[in-house]
Amino acid sequence: MRLGSMWRDALSALVREPATQQYPFERLQAPEHLRSKLHWDLTNCTGCGLCAKDCPSDAIDVIVLDKKARKFVFRYHVDRCTFCSQCVMSCPKKCLEMANDEWELASLTPDDFLVYYGNEEDVETVLAAAASNGADASSTDTE
Amino acid sequence: MSAIAALLIFPGGVFLLLVGMIYEWIDRKLVARFQNRMGPRWFQPLADTIKLLAKEEVVPDGVDARLFFTLPVIALAGAMTAALYVPLVGFEASYSFSGDLIVTVYMLSLLTLGTGLAGANTLNRFSLIGATRTLTQLFSYEAPFLLALLGPAIVADSWQIGEITDYAGDHVWLLVTQPIGFLVALIGLMGKLELPPFDAPEAETEIVAGALTEYSGRGLALFHLGKGVELVIGLTLVAAFYLGGVTHPLIFVAKTLALLSILAGLQALMTRLRIDQTVGLWWRYGALLVLAQFLALIVWEGVM
Amino acid sequence: MPTTPTQENDVFRIPIGPQHPALKEPGHFEFTVDGEVVTAATLRLGYVHRGIEKGTEGRNWIQSLYLLERVCGICSHVHATAYCLGVEKLAGVEAPPRAQAIRVLVAELERIHSHMLWLGVAAHEAGFDMLFMYSWRDRETVMNLLEGITGNRVNYSANQLGGVKCDIDGEQADDIRVGLDFLEGRIKHYLDVVSQDTMFLRRTRGIGVMTREDCERMGIVGPTARASGVELDLRVHAPYAAYPEHPVNLVTATAGDLEARFIVRVNELFESIRLIREILDDLPEGDLSVRVPRRIPAGETISRVEAPRGELFYYIKSNRSDMADRVKVRTPTLPNMASVLEIAVGHQLADIPMILTGIDPCFSCNDRMVAINDPSRGEQAWTWEQLRQYGIEYYR
Repeated sequence: MRLGSMWRDALSALVREPATQQYPFERLQAPEHLRSKLHWDLTNCTGCGLCAKDCPSDAIDVIVLDKKARKFVFRYHVDRCTFCSQCVMSCPKKCLEMANDEWELASLTPDDFLVYYGNEEDVETVLAAAASNGADASSTDTE
Repeated sequence: MSAIAALLIFPGGVFLLLVGMIYEWIDRKLVARFQNRMGPRWFQPLADTIKLLAKEEVVPDGVDARLFFTLPVIALAGAMTAALYVPLVGFEASYSFSGDLIVTVYMLSLLTLGTGLAGANTLNRFSLIGATRTLTQLFSYEAPFLLALLGPAIVADSWQIGEITDYAGDHVWLLVTQPIGFLVALIGLMGKLELPPFDAPEAETEIVAGALTEYSGRGLALFHLGKGVELVIGLTLVAAFYLGGVTHPLIFVAKTLALLSILAGLQALMTRLRIDQTVGLWWRYGALLVLAQFLALIVWEGVM
Repeated sequence: MPTTPTQENDVFRIPIGPQHPALKEPGHFEFTVDGEVVTAATLRLGYVHRGIEKGTEGRNWIQSLYLLERVCGICSHVHATAYCLGVEKLAGVEAPPRAQAIRVLVAELERIHSHMLWLGVAAHEAGFDMLFMYSWRDRETVMNLLEGITGNRVNYSANQLGGVKCDIDGEQADDIRVGLDFLEGRIKHYLDVVSQDTMFLRRTRGIGVMTREDCERMGIVGPTARASGVELDLRVHAPYAAYPEHPVNLVTATAGDLEARFIVRVNELFESIRLIREILDDLPEGDLSVRVPRRIPAGETISRVEAPRGELFYYIKSNRSDMADRVKVRTPTLPNMASVLEIAVGHQLADIPMILTGIDPCFSCNDRMVAINDPSRGEQAWTWEQLRQYGIEYYR
């Protein structure tokens, strides 16, 4: 039976830096295997859409413009993503990767959360189609 | 003119409120550092107070609105009046008369009494339980605390704070001759201010904010200010009585701050007591110990 | 002057919840008190019913994994493990040994994180913020380890159907060992604090005593039951994943009070640390996963794992489609909740938050639709319309 059995912690804390991290001023280094923003590589993609099919939070749209010419646009909703990396596992051609950079994803506009991957002209085709169909880009799913 | 200055600027009024906030900040900062946290920035108590003062006061259904508004004022006024009779930061008390010790202790109780009544005034169930606990605690620590302050009064043979502090300054520190009284006075101050571990009346995990649950704006700010003021006065009294009387202001402030850091350490290291344990502690140990010391003092005085 | 419910029938009821500082999740308790002593208690749950079980029926087997992982925010990995083990059993495949070992490793790290979180919360309920702050500070260590292994801090998503996603290389193993060495020292200190600090023991010793018979009668599970001497731990009595290769020593106590619950949980931390070290030293080589068909053969199965809070039960039924026909979850908090109402009576109001926290409640885990048998009305099941009506009335 002891009174104040944590006194050692209390005294040593006085000479130690607080454990609190002053986030915007000092940042931890992200661990090597951290799952952050999803990246897509067109090179091997066959447009099978398994990633979109298995995504639990509906964060991926694979837009197939021309299957033969391998014109694909990969639309990624960062705000819906739960970073489970199931898409990375599901992809048979290993086109997807969750790198450990880019984990500070806060933004003031929703637009930053809609990411298009693909050849520039293809993305522009999709965006133009979305614009002609009205402002709602999500209504242009053409999987 | 000097009376008004004493009331509004120094030692009462603005000065006292500011010192109260600074002490509150030191207390919070120390507890935070003991817990390896950052703690608040220096202006946090001031910012809290300004925010609360600017907020709308929501008057709940079923309360006596006049009491609801006056109780915080009375509580704060009581605490600030008490400041006129104590040697704040080592300066002579503004007013002094024979028996002002009793008046001061009474004025200091007004805050607790006001808190209790404020809780009992509302119909909120957490407030009612909190008010019961506040008043229960008032009755349990008040007697030992008073006895602990009367110990120095007995040896100084006076009821006047100025004379007691003079006596304390001329003799060896009363902490040495009356250690039990010092301990009881210090812990009694924690009970009075409902600091952990004696915070059962406002135990947030049980009864939210206790008696003050229904207070949201100015009333809450005034009660908080009152608490800060009482912390300053309590520390001043204990330091003046037990730590060698009134000395140079800087040394005196250093003494009160030393006491404050002891209080902060005790707050950090202790687990909250249940209200029955608080009462048991005071009446079984605190009161008996201080009575024993009291008897010893009286006998000693008689022998001398 | 308006009256309040406090004046009805001359009883004084204290509502705790759905919003209350003592509760980190919504639940509604009403304690009838006589002065400070509790004389009766009632409970209403269901504030965070999210329809997860029904949700699985509209998702494919893979998507359901991530939905079920979110049943509990603290013990997410055990939910995923229970589901994966069940689905793998239905599909007739078995995850490779290395995957099973990593599953257990993450589960034990998660147990450390969950128990340390509980230690802090319970200390805070007792008004001992010092222990709260320090145990949560040290819990960051294990959170960082989990982040380093799986890439996420809370819902790790370490599992996939047929295995795990993340491997453990030598560098990670060393990081884990270093973290565990630090934690072991700290946990020894916490064991000293919870078993020796005079002030803290005044709030835990002899409070909320549950005998072994009480536990067995109410069906209490997990560390709460083990603190009363019930020898029940699925890792020991029905080992799954890699537990057959890495046996667990049962941790029990006999006192059945809050102190015993503290000691059992803290001692389980040592056991977890020992187990993790053992697995790290003896990690089988091999693949991380096997292929699981998209359509699971028809059938039904149960899957039981030991969550940090006790036995977690999954029932999974498949009708040979790519979606689950039915998934039923029973989380350990549900049986334990009954004990709070029973042991609260006769205790001080101040002990109630401690008693409630003593079972380590997780409200959103246990809030799911329960079929109500009402013999007086002769109704066993509800039609959709009745259910809808009930919902409308309930939230009115």
